[in-house]
Amino acid sequence: MLSALLLIPLVGALLLLVWPGDPESQRWRWATLALLGLQLFWSLAVLLRFDPAIGGAQLLEVAPWVGTLGLEYRLGVDGLSLPLVLINGVLSFVAVAVTAADTSRPRLYHALLLLISGAVNGAFLAQNTLLFFLFYELELIPLWLLIAIWGGRNRAYAATKFLIFTALSGMLILGAFFGLALATGSADFSFNPLLAQDVGLGVQLLLLGALLVGFGIKIPLVPFHTWLPDAHTEASTPVSVLLAGVLLKLGTYGLLRFCLGLFPEAWGVMAPWLAGWAALSVLFGSLAAIQQQDMKRMVAYSSVGHMGYVLLAAAAATPVSLQGALFQMISHGLISALLFLLVGVVYSATGTRDMNVLRGLLNPQRGLPLTGSLMVVGVMASAGIPGMAGFVAEFLVFRGSLVAFPLQTLLCMVGSGLTAVYFLLLVNRAFFGRLDTPPTTQQVVLPSIPLGHQIPAMALAVAILAIGLLPQGLGSLMERSSFALTLPPRVIAASLDSAISSATTTPAIRLEQG
Amino acid sequence: MPTALPLPVQLAWLIPIYGFLGVGLSLPWACGWFRLTGPRPAAYLNILVTMLAFLHGSLLMVIVLRDGSYSLSHDWFQTADLQLRLSFELSPTSLASLELVTGLSLLAQVFALGYLDKEWSLARFYALVGFFEGAMAGVVLSSSLFLTYFLLEMLTLSTYLLVGFWYAQPLVVTAARDAFLTKRVGDVLLLMGVVALSAWAGVMTFEDLYSWVPQAGLSPLAGNLLGLGLIAGPLGKCAQFPMHLWLDEAMEGPNPASILRNSVVVTCGALVLLRLMPILQLSPLSLAVLVALGSITAVGGSLVAIAQADIKRTLSYTTSAYMGLVFVAIALQLPAIALLLLFAHAVAKALLFMSVGSVIATTNCQDLSELGGMGSRMPATTLAFLVGGAGCTALVPLGCFWAFALTVEALGRTAPALAAIVLITNSLTLVNLTRVFRLVFLGPSQPKTRRAPEANWSMAVPMVALTVLVLVTPWIMARIDPVPGLASFSPQVLGWLILSSVLGLVIGSRIPLHKAWSRPIQSYWRVVQDLLAFDFYTDRIYRVTIVALVANLAMAIDWFDRRVVDGLVNRLGRLSLASAEGLRLGVSGQMQTYVLTGVVAIVLLLTSMSWLVR
Repeated sequence: MLSALLLIPLVGALLLLVWPGDPESQRWRWATLALLGLQLFWSLAVLLRFDPAIGGAQLLEVAPWVGTLGLEYRLGVDGLSLPLVLINGVLSFVAVAVTAADTSRPRLYHALLLLISGAVNGAFLAQNTLLFFLFYELELIPLWLLIAIWGGRNRAYAATKFLIFTALSGMLILGAFFGLALATGSADFSFNPLLAQDVGLGVQLLLLGALLVGFGIKIPLVPFHTWLPDAHTEASTPVSVLLAGVLLKLGTYGLLRFCLGLFPEAWGVMAPWLAGWAALSVLFGSLAAIQQQDMKRMVAYSSVGHMGYVLLAAAAATPVSLQGALFQMISHGLISALLFLLVGVVYSATGTRDMNVLRGLLNPQRGLPLTGSLMVVGVMASAGIPGMAGFVAEFLVFRGSLVAFPLQTLLCMVGSGLTAVYFLLLVNRAFFGRLDTPPTTQQVVLPSIPLGHQIPAMALAVAILAIGLLPQGLGSLMERSSFALTLPPRVIAASLDSAISSATTTPAIRLEQG
Repeated sequence: MPTALPLPVQLAWLIPIYGFLGVGLSLPWACGWFRLTGPRPAAYLNILVTMLAFLHGSLLMVIVLRDGSYSLSHDWFQTADLQLRLSFELSPTSLASLELVTGLSLLAQVFALGYLDKEWSLARFYALVGFFEGAMAGVVLSSSLFLTYFLLEMLTLSTYLLVGFWYAQPLVVTAARDAFLTKRVGDVLLLMGVVALSAWAGVMTFEDLYSWVPQAGLSPLAGNLLGLGLIAGPLGKCAQFPMHLWLDEAMEGPNPASILRNSVVVTCGALVLLRLMPILQLSPLSLAVLVALGSITAVGGSLVAIAQADIKRTLSYTTSAYMGLVFVAIALQLPAIALLLLFAHAVAKALLFMSVGSVIATTNCQDLSELGGMGSRMPATTLAFLVGGAGCTALVPLGCFWAFALTVEALGRTAPALAAIVLITNSLTLVNLTRVFRLVFLGPSQPKTRRAPEANWSMAVPMVALTVLVLVTPWIMARIDPVPGLASFSPQVLGWLILSSVLGLVIGSRIPLHKAWSRPIQSYWRVVQDLLAFDFYTDRIYRVTIVALVANLAMAIDWFDRRVVDGLVNRLGRLSLASAEGLRLGVSGQMQTYVLTGVVAIVLLLTSMSWLVR
């Protein structure tokens, strides 16, 4: 069942590359849409078969591969990976749907998109660290090509930067996986939280550090984030949507699955520092975003800030905060995808993303009123206004983390307030005001966007509202698996004792372990 | 549940939905999908759903007065130890607030039909008002702190959108921004409080929180921080010093929204504070802060109002001032008086804003120095202003008279200073209202007012209706919550109250009001005038403090990011390229050197990792 989620896009990509036909034809786009539609349909089928009452991986598919290396083809899905697989299905589809019709070399382009989609599915479904790594690396090359070939003016720099950063991330992660095998003396690469139990704390910390930097690059966390704004600014809109919506989630997924999941003891020791790192990342990203003039860079920096919440929640590792981390991954995926889509529309209609130039885009006759309205929705969702997905995530993260790390959580909440500042600047500068401001002398008339082109953005906005208004469904889907990640009581007790006042109850401790 | 609840009670959750439904119903016209009909149908649909909400509320009121209060609760989200429920309370007080909200919303919407007659994005306005009303209706009924926060934030968003309704104007752009950010600061602090309460108490309904408070056992620091966080939200919502600037700027929005904003929106904020009052017992500091900020706003706001030249802004400052009095009353544990003042103020202020709105709609002018002589031309509007002004002050025994008398009676002995603040606010407000009345309705006609006709029927009808309502406020108050008769107040209280009113009236009618030449000659008067006219330079204080702080931090971080973090990355890249260039020249081409280099590298690598395997 799960293998189909890999086979559909990967075999599809292969077919696309070898199928005879005019490489410039629009057929490739429709074929890709059909394949991705099938993949999305299939992931919905997986959702139907999924039993949320089970905490561990289910629908397992196992086949031996390279036994001596410990590499095993082992797929499974749990509440942590299923929503991410779904979001990958949705956003891959959206990315192809919003691809401009005149994109050059459509055959290669669409094959690469399929490859990414399949690799991401593989990484989320893999139940073996080496298999995960394989897919984690597999997604790099197509993305690099997508930026380097279809990117903006400065694409060579951005693509190389992206490649070097993420390759480094991959090396660190692989090193940590091998290091764990070396330290335990067994070639067991399964997801076993007890694996690192007998390893000394020093070695655990070292391996965890390597993993943290590795995934920290991918998430990205300050100071390993500088590849992201460049990659986003140079990438085309669909690639930005995928990058922000899905690929960054590989980093947070790794953070939860491997950093927290494989090294609970070392994690407990480092947790206060990690929470501090999260606060730093949130504040740094938010403040840097205020200063940006390019809309895409601003959204990119907001990603840096918003991913910091996931680290905070993971550091606290209480049941509620972990639920919040998962919610944040989903909501950020949808919201940032929506924002990048809309920025892409603005860019294609006006030819610029510079907020010093753009004015009055909400103008109902000659501007982009629907894009502007959707932008207000996206921006408010990102700022954590209730009724939208961002609020649920932020509330859960803060509520879950406050007991463990009060100061760091409060700092992160300040960051959430700063989100409102920079996004309000964006809306006020680019969308409010008059369309014809002094530098322009004649009347500005922007091309009207056909309603059909706005459907993906509208669908994302509806999804954001739906999660924000009725979060229970998604919550119960992920509940069991996120609880399974909760730190063992002794670890929490140690880190909590110092942190909370005596009168407060510690819900985390009361929760039984799965 | 033993017996089935009456149907209107079961469906009480619909009440906030009505407003939100209005948004959905207006969308087709707001998006321009139905062009043939013009935007009017959206307005009618919104008025219809608001009327439904009002009628549903009235029905509930009848049931609740018969059967007693109901509380309803719906599951929303549950995970681990976190239970978030949407709880509503149907009590006479909450339903009275609901009737106030929906009733005034209904009147304001009918008023808007006339005021925004030629506005071609009428449908968008009604959609936003529907959103506004839905959020407010939810806030007044909510009995859970979580739901209250949820809806307060929605209220913030809708305020932003309503203030920014005419988004093409530069002043509107800054006004919308300031309204959102100021409230957002309050909301984030409130969120900190809500999250902390949720984590510490584990419950979210007000009742449960009240029973948690005595056994909370928080440290004084935690309690005070919690209290300050909780009051920040209402402080921002009710435009209290130092978060008051937005209300003044928000007057750039359309007037029908200003009617609501100055009456019921601020009331919602104060009602939330009223709900939080028992929890604030944890923090004596926050109560002291409330009294201090409330007093400052009451006196300062009334003074600033006198120096304003814009007819809407001058009234908006008095709103802040009255909310300051409400805050003082709440902080001093006088909930009944606070409620009374809130209700009396809400209807009277709404009427004042309607009257002002009809002046603005007729003359297209809101500058006090360009108005005059309207009294003979717009009788209904003039009457509305007079009644609204009387309802706002203690001149004649209308709504606020009782509220002020009760406050002075309650505080006269224990806190004479605060009683004095009430009296001073009353005097200053009267000075200001008299001044505005003289400038707008008396005196010779001005070019802009010479041919002013009375407002059209869709503005006049709600205005007259509200005039009647303000006139019968004492009777309504007696019905809901029996207020003592005039005779029950001590002579001193009545004496002081009347003295302060008469004083205000006399000063207001004596001060010279020269339109063309309103700058005093003496430099010290000029300083005072400027100080008040520019609102104690609050915007400049913002600019050099918080705005400068955030802007400079952002600049510093951006510099650090580009120069140091990214600079390091780029330098490393360049270094590796350069070193490769350099090393290229050191290649000898001899096999032995290659092997040696390789061996040395492997040995180094292995020794560096040998400690891993012990």
